[in-house]
Amino acid sequence: MYAGHFAAGLALKAKEPNTPTWALLLGVGVLDLLFGILLVAGIERATITPGIAPGFSLDFIDWSHSLLMSLAWAALYAAFFVRKRGLAVAAVCGFAVFSHFLLDFLMHPGDLALWPYSNAHIGLGIWRLFPTGWWVFELAFIVLCSAYYLARAKTLKTFGGRGFLAVGVVVLLHVTNSPWLSPAH
Amino acid sequence: MLRRMTTTAFGILCFLSFIVPVPLLAWLDKPKGGR
Repeated sequence: MYAGHFAAGLALKAKEPNTPTWALLLGVGVLDLLFGILLVAGIERATITPGIAPGFSLDFIDWSHSLLMSLAWAALYAAFFVRKRGLAVAAVCGFAVFSHFLLDFLMHPGDLALWPYSNAHIGLGIWRLFPTGWWVFELAFIVLCSAYYLARAKTLKTFGGRGFLAVGVVVLLHVTNSPWLSPAH
Repeated sequence: MLRRMTTTAFGILCFLSFIVPVPLLAWLDKPKGGR
Protein backbone atom coordinates (compact mmCIF):
# COMPACT_ATOMS: atom_id res chain seq x y z
CA MET A 1 0.00 0.00 0.00
CA TYR A 2 1.25 3.48 -0.81
CA ALA A 3 -1.23 6.38 -1.18
CA GLY A 4 -3.64 4.58 1.15
CA HIS A 5 -1.26 5.32 4.01
CA PHE A 6 -1.55 9.06 3.33
CA ALA A 7 -5.34 8.70 3.15
CA ALA A 8 -5.22 7.03 6.57
CA GLY A 9 -3.17 10.01 7.80
CA LEU A 10 -5.83 12.45 6.59
CA ALA A 11 -8.58 10.37 8.22
CA LEU A 12 -6.65 10.39 11.50
CA LYS A 13 -6.35 14.17 11.21
CA ALA A 14 -10.11 14.37 10.79
CA LYS A 15 -10.65 12.15 13.83
CA GLU A 16 -8.16 14.02 16.05
CA PRO A 17 -7.87 17.58 14.63
CA ASN A 18 -5.56 18.75 17.43
CA THR A 19 -2.80 16.50 16.14
CA PRO A 20 -0.29 18.22 13.80
CA THR A 21 -0.97 17.16 10.23
CA TRP A 22 2.72 16.78 9.37
CA ALA A 23 3.19 14.45 12.36
CA LEU A 24 0.41 12.16 11.15
CA LEU A 25 1.48 12.18 7.50
CA LEU A 26 5.09 11.53 8.48
CA GLY A 27 3.97 8.91 11.00
CA VAL A 28 2.02 6.80 8.53
CA GLY A 29 5.18 6.52 6.42
CA VAL A 30 7.74 5.90 9.15
CA LEU A 31 7.99 2.15 8.51
CA ASP A 32 8.69 2.66 4.81
CA LEU A 33 11.11 5.53 5.51
CA LEU A 34 13.04 3.14 7.74
CA PHE A 35 12.73 0.42 5.08
CA GLY A 36 14.26 2.74 2.47
CA ILE A 37 17.20 3.56 4.73
CA LEU A 38 17.75 -0.07 5.82
CA LEU A 39 17.49 -1.30 2.23
CA VAL A 40 20.17 1.12 1.04
CA ALA A 41 22.29 0.16 4.07
CA GLY A 42 22.00 -3.51 3.07
CA ILE A 43 20.32 -4.49 6.35
CA GLU A 44 16.97 -5.30 4.72
CA ARG A 45 16.51 -7.03 1.37
CA ALA A 46 14.13 -6.75 -1.57
CA THR A 47 14.09 -8.01 -5.15
CA ILE A 48 12.50 -6.33 -8.14
CA THR A 49 10.09 -8.78 -9.82
CA PRO A 50 8.72 -7.21 -13.04
CA GLY A 51 5.46 -8.80 -14.11
CA ILE A 52 4.73 -10.34 -10.72
CA ALA A 53 2.44 -8.18 -8.58
CA PRO A 54 3.23 -5.85 -6.92
CA GLY A 55 6.51 -5.64 -8.89
CA PHE A 56 8.88 -6.45 -6.04
CA SER A 57 9.49 -9.11 -3.44
CA LEU A 58 10.26 -8.01 0.11
CA ASP A 59 12.72 -10.70 1.15
CA PHE A 60 13.72 -9.43 4.60
CA ILE A 61 11.96 -6.45 6.18
CA ASP A 62 11.89 -7.60 9.80
CA TRP A 63 13.54 -4.52 11.31
CA SER A 64 11.22 -2.00 9.71
CA HIS A 65 7.99 -3.97 9.27
CA SER A 66 7.68 -6.85 11.76
CA LEU A 67 4.78 -6.69 14.21
CA LEU A 68 7.02 -6.23 17.23
CA MET A 69 9.22 -3.59 15.60
CA SER A 70 6.17 -1.74 14.25
CA LEU A 71 4.90 -1.45 17.81
CA ALA A 72 8.36 -0.37 18.98
CA TRP A 73 8.69 2.29 16.24
CA ALA A 74 5.16 3.50 17.07
CA ALA A 75 6.02 3.82 20.76
CA LEU A 76 9.28 5.61 19.97
CA TYR A 77 7.54 8.01 17.59
CA ALA A 78 4.83 8.70 20.15
CA ALA A 79 7.48 9.40 22.80
CA PHE A 80 8.73 12.35 20.71
CA PHE A 81 5.37 14.09 21.15
CA VAL A 82 4.52 13.35 24.79
CA ARG A 83 6.31 16.27 26.43
CA LYS A 84 5.36 19.04 23.98
CA ARG A 85 1.92 17.85 22.80
CA GLY A 86 0.60 15.64 25.59
CA LEU A 87 -0.34 12.00 25.84
CA ALA A 88 -3.46 12.12 23.65
CA VAL A 89 -1.69 13.62 20.63
CA ALA A 90 1.30 11.33 21.19
CA ALA A 91 -0.99 8.29 21.20
CA VAL A 92 -2.57 9.31 17.88
CA CYS A 93 0.90 9.86 16.37
CA GLY A 94 1.94 6.42 17.59
CA PHE A 95 -1.19 4.87 16.12
CA ALA A 96 -0.42 6.58 12.80
CA VAL A 97 2.86 4.65 12.72
CA PHE A 98 1.20 1.35 13.63
CA SER A 99 -1.60 1.91 11.11
CA HIS A 100 1.05 1.29 8.47
CA PHE A 101 1.48 -2.28 9.73
CA LEU A 102 -2.29 -2.87 9.88
CA LEU A 103 -2.79 -1.73 6.28
CA ASP A 104 0.27 -3.60 5.03
CA PHE A 105 -1.09 -6.74 6.72
CA LEU A 106 -4.00 -6.65 4.28
CA MET A 107 -1.82 -6.23 1.20
CA HIS A 108 1.45 -8.08 1.85
CA PRO A 109 1.79 -11.73 0.84
CA GLY A 110 2.98 -13.18 4.14
CA ASP A 111 6.26 -11.29 4.41
CA LEU A 112 5.56 -9.49 7.70
CA ALA A 113 7.43 -11.26 10.50
CA LEU A 114 6.06 -11.29 14.02
CA TRP A 115 9.47 -10.14 15.28
CA PRO A 116 12.96 -9.84 13.74
CA TYR A 117 14.15 -13.27 12.51
CA SER A 118 10.86 -14.91 13.50
CA ASN A 119 9.91 -17.88 11.32
CA ALA A 120 6.26 -16.85 11.49
CA HIS A 121 5.20 -14.39 8.80
CA ILE A 122 1.78 -12.90 8.25
CA GLY A 123 -0.13 -10.95 5.60
CA LEU A 124 -3.43 -11.55 3.81
CA GLY A 125 -1.79 -11.02 0.43
CA ILE A 126 -4.30 -8.92 -1.50
CA TRP A 127 -1.38 -7.84 -3.71
CA ARG A 128 -0.85 -11.40 -4.97
CA LEU A 129 -4.45 -12.62 -4.81
CA PHE A 130 -5.67 -9.75 -6.97
CA PRO A 131 -2.76 -8.62 -9.22
CA THR A 132 -4.71 -5.57 -10.43
CA GLY A 133 -7.75 -5.67 -8.13
CA TRP A 134 -5.60 -4.57 -5.16
CA TRP A 135 -5.44 -1.13 -6.76
CA VAL A 136 -9.24 -0.85 -6.76
CA PHE A 137 -9.36 -2.08 -3.15
CA GLU A 138 -6.85 0.60 -2.12
CA LEU A 139 -8.77 3.22 -4.13
CA ALA A 140 -11.95 2.32 -2.24
CA PHE A 141 -10.07 2.76 1.04
CA ILE A 142 -8.78 6.16 -0.14
CA VAL A 143 -12.30 7.25 -1.12
CA LEU A 144 -13.69 6.27 2.29
CA CYS A 145 -10.91 8.05 4.20
CA SER A 146 -11.19 11.11 1.96
CA ALA A 147 -14.96 11.35 2.35
CA TYR A 148 -14.59 11.27 6.13
CA TYR A 149 -11.77 13.85 6.01
CA LEU A 150 -13.68 16.25 3.77
CA ALA A 151 -16.90 15.92 5.76
CA ARG A 152 -15.15 16.65 9.05
CA ALA A 153 -13.17 19.51 7.49
CA LYS A 154 -16.38 21.10 6.25
CA THR A 155 -17.95 20.84 9.71
CA LEU A 156 -15.02 21.88 11.89
CA LYS A 157 -13.25 24.33 9.54
CA THR A 158 -10.05 24.04 11.62
CA PHE A 159 -8.23 22.02 8.95
CA GLY A 160 -8.61 21.02 5.32
CA GLY A 161 -8.54 24.56 3.92
CA ARG A 162 -7.63 23.08 0.55
CA GLY A 163 -8.95 19.65 1.44
CA PHE A 164 -10.13 18.76 -2.06
CA LEU A 165 -6.65 19.49 -3.41
CA ALA A 166 -5.09 17.38 -0.64
CA VAL A 167 -7.37 14.48 -1.59
CA GLY A 168 -6.55 15.11 -5.24
CA VAL A 169 -2.83 14.78 -4.50
CA VAL A 170 -3.42 11.47 -2.69
CA VAL A 171 -5.48 10.15 -5.61
CA LEU A 172 -2.78 11.31 -8.04
CA LEU A 173 -0.16 9.43 -6.01
CA HIS A 174 -2.39 6.35 -6.19
CA VAL A 175 -2.72 6.71 -9.97
CA THR A 176 1.07 6.88 -10.39
CA ASN A 177 1.29 3.65 -8.36
CA SER A 178 -1.25 1.80 -10.51
CA PRO A 179 -0.40 -1.57 -12.10
CA TRP A 180 -0.75 0.09 -15.49
CA LEU A 181 1.50 3.12 -14.95
CA SER A 182 4.10 2.33 -12.30
CA PRO A 183 7.49 1.20 -13.68
CA ALA A 184 7.75 -1.17 -10.69
CA HIS A 185 4.90 -3.25 -12.11
CA MET B 1 26.36 -5.07 -9.13
CA LEU B 2 23.27 -4.23 -11.20
CA ARG B 3 21.04 -5.92 -8.61
CA ARG B 4 22.64 -3.87 -5.84
CA MET B 5 22.16 -0.63 -7.79
CA THR B 6 18.53 -1.52 -8.49
CA THR B 7 17.92 -2.26 -4.82
CA THR B 8 19.56 1.01 -3.79
CA ALA B 9 17.44 2.95 -6.27
CA PHE B 10 14.32 1.19 -4.94
CA GLY B 11 15.25 2.14 -1.37
CA ILE B 12 15.83 5.79 -2.27
CA LEU B 13 12.59 5.90 -4.29
CA CYS B 14 10.68 4.38 -1.38
CA PHE B 15 12.14 6.90 1.07
CA LEU B 16 11.44 9.90 -1.16
CA SER B 17 7.92 8.75 -2.02
CA PHE B 18 6.98 8.86 1.65
CA ILE B 19 8.76 12.12 2.55
CA VAL B 20 8.16 14.42 -0.44
CA PRO B 21 4.33 14.60 -0.26
CA VAL B 22 4.28 15.37 3.49
CA PRO B 23 4.94 19.16 3.38
CA LEU B 24 2.61 19.62 0.41
CA LEU B 25 -0.29 17.73 2.02
CA ALA B 26 0.30 19.46 5.36
CA TRP B 27 0.18 22.84 3.61
CA LEU B 28 -3.01 21.98 1.74
CA ASP B 29 -4.56 20.91 5.04
CA LYS B 30 -4.04 24.32 6.68
CA PRO B 31 -7.29 26.16 7.36
CA LYS B 32 -8.06 28.96 4.93
CA GLY B 33 -6.69 32.21 6.29
CA GLY B 34 -4.51 30.27 8.74
CA ARG B 35 -0.77 30.80 8.94
